[in-house]
Parts: sequence; structure tokens; C-alpha cells
Amino acid sequence: MIDTPCRDVPLEEWAAALGLALSEGFDFFDWLTAVDQTDAEDNPGFDLVCHLMNSATGHSSQSELARVLIRTRVPSGQPAVSATRLWAGAAWHERETYEMFGIDFEDFQDGSGLGLRPLLLPNGFEGTPLRKSFVLASRASKPWPGAKEPGEGGAAPGAGALKEKPGRRKINAPGVPDSTWGPR
Amino acid sequence: MPGIGPVNNDAPRPIKVVLNWGRRYSLWVFNFGLACCAIEFIAASMARHDFIRLGVIPFAPSPRQADLMIVSGTVTDKMAPAIRRLYDQMPEPKYVISFGSCANSGGPYWDSYCVTKGVDQLMPVDVYVPGCPPRPEALLQGIVQLQEKIATETLSTKSIRAKYAGSRRAAAGEVTRPLLARPSTVTAGHTGDEQL
Repeated sequence: MIDTPCRDVPLEEWAAALGLALSEGFDFFDWLTAVDQTDAEDNPGFDLVCHLMNSATGHSSQSELARVLIRTRVPSGQPAVSATRLWAGAAWHERETYEMFGIDFEDFQDGSGLGLRPLLLPNGFEGTPLRKSFVLASRASKPWPGAKEPGEGGAAPGAGALKEKPGRRKINAPGVPDSTWGPR
Repeated sequence: MPGIGPVNNDAPRPIKVVLNWGRRYSLWVFNFGLACCAIEFIAASMARHDFIRLGVIPFAPSPRQADLMIVSGTVTDKMAPAIRRLYDQMPEPKYVISFGSCANSGGPYWDSYCVTKGVDQLMPVDVYVPGCPPRPEALLQGIVQLQEKIATETLSTKSIRAKYAGSRRAAAGEVTRPLLARPSTVTAGHTGDEQL
């Protein structure tokens, strides 16, 4: 496993950190995405992560490809600064992060002048599906067809359903509506 | 409106049997491979399993030359309009095999935000092949089932219209689109993704 060095920066230094990495030689933009950390204990928000590589390294078997991760915590509702001025290829990644997590990017430009807009989702899709708060419509309308907990019997009634251990913590996966949504 | 023409419509019963016989053993297949099931589908078309011996001819160069559409893979909501459009371009009579759990019902992605819960939400399906992914032999069995179904059917314009009632308003020849023109305002350094 490659242990990629990770630089955690405050949100206001995001663009400066990317520019610094570019000037250090990390000129290949690999990917940019976000991680939903809105349930974190301290400083909840979204981790904005960018993976960069140094294209001058890794050409022979002796020299390893230099990589770096740059990470910042974006509080919910706050915009980040776009990386499209540094790497034009960041446009698709930022559009995907925008539609999946609802993170806005300031100063976004991809040459079309249309600004941030959905990339992969079908037309008319509402919501940001990779947020933990996004409830899946199928889960709200249908019970899980298999076993919810380890040791549970599954969908077939009376098919040797084992008794659940009392006091065991219920698994509550993101996207699955909780009991306040009513019975399913 | 879709129809099958006077020869098929008014032929006497023995002629219809012969026409059905010809139809069931020359199924030009239109490959709609969307995910890993497509690999099994391709395996079924190759030498070991070889569905040409059942009269399934791979692969129609376009939907307009195809009789059978095999949807193998995960149908997403983004892809759904394209599938429907290509299906509408196939001439009647046409058949659909839904291959694999994803195309049948959404499969392991049944609760996803972007996966269509079965291709039968888009168009009528004749044979469902279960499995994740199904073995090529399962597809051969599905094709045999479809051939038995074709052998026993009595085609008429009325029955075809009943099959697509409520969902289909145009014949295959009417579903056309003007030729795409190259965008003229491509600026330097711009990737041309404004259509996306």
C-alpha cells in the first residue's frame, strides 16, 4: 500500500495550498472529491480531497512517483475556491463534487461560461445523493428484502429466524430512513 | 402506428406457422451490453456456447436491422431514454430479453439513486434471465424459451398494437433525428463538453 503524504489545510488556504503544490512540481491533477464528515465530533463538514502527482518522477524503476493529497474541511453551505484556474481538467471533478455533495466552487470556469451544473445525474434530479442525509427513495418505500442484522432470518417468514441478541446496536446505514419515517 | 403489413396479417394459418418458423430461427440480435453481464453475453456468442446454432445472429449493425434486443447490464436513469429510443427504432415484430438481475429488477442496486428498477419499466420484456451474472447456458435457455414463445404466437397488427398500448405511438421509421452538426463555436483550449 502506498502511504501518500497528506496536507491538511484550512479552507481559506485551499487555493494557496494547491498553487504551492503546483509550484513544487505536482503538476498532474489526478482527482478531486469530497467525503461527508457532517457527523464528525469536532468541526463537522465535508472533507475536500485533491490528489496530485509529480510528472517529472516515476520514469524509471528506481524513482518512485511522487504523490500528495491535499485536504480541507468545508463547513456545510460554504463554498470552496475552484482549482480550474490551475488545472482545466478539474472542471469535471468539481462539477461531480457539486452535484453529489452540494459543495459550491467559487470562480469556477470551464470555458463554456455556464458555471457549475450537474454532470452525471439525469436531468431534473433533485438532491445531493452522496450526502449522508440523502434518503434513498427505494429504502423509504420498500423494506430491505434480506436480513437487516446478522443472525436475522431474512424475508421468508418463519424460516428459522434466529432470536436477535438484546441490546445489540442497530446498524443505521446512510441513506436508510430511520424510524421517524414510519413503518416500512 | 406500428403494424406488420398485409401479408403477415391476412395469411392463412399454415403460412403463419411457416413465417413464425422463419422468424424464430433468424433472430438478429442487438447487443445492449451495459455492464459485466455483457461479458457473459459475448461469451454466449463465441465458439464454446455459440448461439448462432440456435439461429441468433450476432450482431445487428443497428437497431433498424435487429429483431431481438438483449439488455445485459445495469440500466441507469441517465441511460434509460437512449435504450427506449433504440428500442423504438427496431422494426416489428421485436423481442426483448432482459439478461441478469440488474436488467430484471435493479438487482444489487435496487436501492440506488440512479439505477432503473428493471428494464421492464421502459419497454415490454419477453424473457427474463435471472442470475448475477447468469451463465451463458442460462442465456441459451432464455433464447430457447423465446423461440417457443415465437412459435406459438399469432402475429397481427392488432396484437402488436395491444402489446404497446399506451406507451408506443410511432412506428420504427418515424423515430428519426436530424443529422448532428459539429458545433461551430469551439474556442481554443476548450474541450467541447458544453453539451454534457
